[in-house]
Amino acid sequence: MQQIGDVSDAQLVTSIARYSEVALAEAYRRHGGAVYGLARRVLNNSAEAEDVTQEVFLRLWDQPDRFDASRGSLRSYLLAQSHGRAVDAVRSLNSRRLREERNAQRTATAAYDMDHEIWDLALADQVAQALGELPGEERRAIEMAYFEGHTYQEVARLLRQPEGTVKGRIRNGMRRMRDLLMAAGVQEVGA
Amino acid sequence: MITHDAASELLASFALDAVEDEERRQVEDHLATCPRCRSELDAMSAVAAAMGNSVEPLPEGLWSNIASRLPERGDEEPPPMPRLVAGDRSTEGAPDATGRGRLRGPMATLGALAVAAAAVAALLGVGLVRADDRVAHYQSLARVGTAETVAAALEVPGHQVVTLETAGQAELARFVVVPDGRGYLISSTLPTLASHHTYQLWGTIANKPISLGLLGPSPRQATFTVATTAPLSKLSVTVEPAGGSVVPSGQAVASGTV
Repeated sequence: MQQIGDVSDAQLVTSIARYSEVALAEAYRRHGGAVYGLARRVLNNSAEAEDVTQEVFLRLWDQPDRFDASRGSLRSYLLAQSHGRAVDAVRSLNSRRLREERNAQRTATAAYDMDHEIWDLALADQVAQALGELPGEERRAIEMAYFEGHTYQEVARLLRQPEGTVKGRIRNGMRRMRDLLMAAGVQEVGA
Repeated sequence: MITHDAASELLASFALDAVEDEERRQVEDHLATCPRCRSELDAMSAVAAAMGNSVEPLPEGLWSNIASRLPERGDEEPPPMPRLVAGDRSTEGAPDATGRGRLRGPMATLGALAVAAAAVAALLGVGLVRADDRVAHYQSLARVGTAETVAAALEVPGHQVVTLETAGQAELARFVVVPDGRGYLISSTLPTLASHHTYQLWGTIANKPISLGLLGPSPRQATFTVATTAPLSKLSVTVEPAGGSVVPSGQAVASGTV
């Protein structure tokens, strides 16, 4: 007998569509920490990250059909949802007011504690290594966009670079990241 | 209408949620008609997800908040569940043991208890669960307490109780392992560690230590699963850095033969 812990993510989502709370709970167990971790990193605020995490899993419950297993993993899908909501919150007027304060805190708490499972730890190492191999200007543009919630236009203004230059750096850097991660054996980026 | 080249240039920024609203709409319109760009976006999104994949401990009570906000669906019978049980096609289309309707009734059999317990089990190739707040959330969800689960496991024919002792034969923990590979912590007197350390449970399989999970700095509840095709010969516990280790970094503080 296969246990719920052994079923695929795609099967879990199918079960969620059939109102299985246990399947949703299992999806939360597998991916909740990553969803919350990314939201907290972008927002630098635990309470808001909890709100984002709730929204992400409630949306998975309400609209499981939005996940397309042929286009990527459930983890990738949920992280994209988490990031999008976190960025929306960062860009909202209320959050914008706190941005400067958060950015100041971010510097102090950059080495935040993480409770990686072993696979996540290995992936994090590979990602950190790949980021480290990017040219500095590409890495900085990607980090400002992804982890600080800036648009590429905002990144350009902050770095005093032309928008097209920053857009190109993000594009080149992301492609380089994909190649580096694939070379390191991270199959998830091989879509 | 944005051109293909212009959309293609924006895909990486789009995957990072780093485009403004008007450009986002333009890219979305283009994606609806361009499989090549959709494929490129999927690859960029996977890279973004890899960068954002930093797991943090989940706050206490967060799952309860989510579960409490799941909308009631009245008394309507849920549609037949797809099988979460493989290898028995005779159950195809049968009501699923993990469906929410079933969870609301008493779960008197070990089978049902085991399904609920299994919801918190398994990671990587070998099942693994850290005994943390998440466990409590699932147990709450399933209306089943660990004490009941352990008691049920102790009723299973063929179960084994494994006592983990120090080299000086002082008992520090006791597990019950049932024949289908599930195991539960019965009791522990492992002393509480500083927060930057954790106990890690290992199973010796084919003479190699395989991680069965992090027990946290103060183990109280734990569930694990091992494949029945790989006989477990020993359980042991080591002290590791808070994130756990791929291989034991030191001597076991306690171990017991299965």
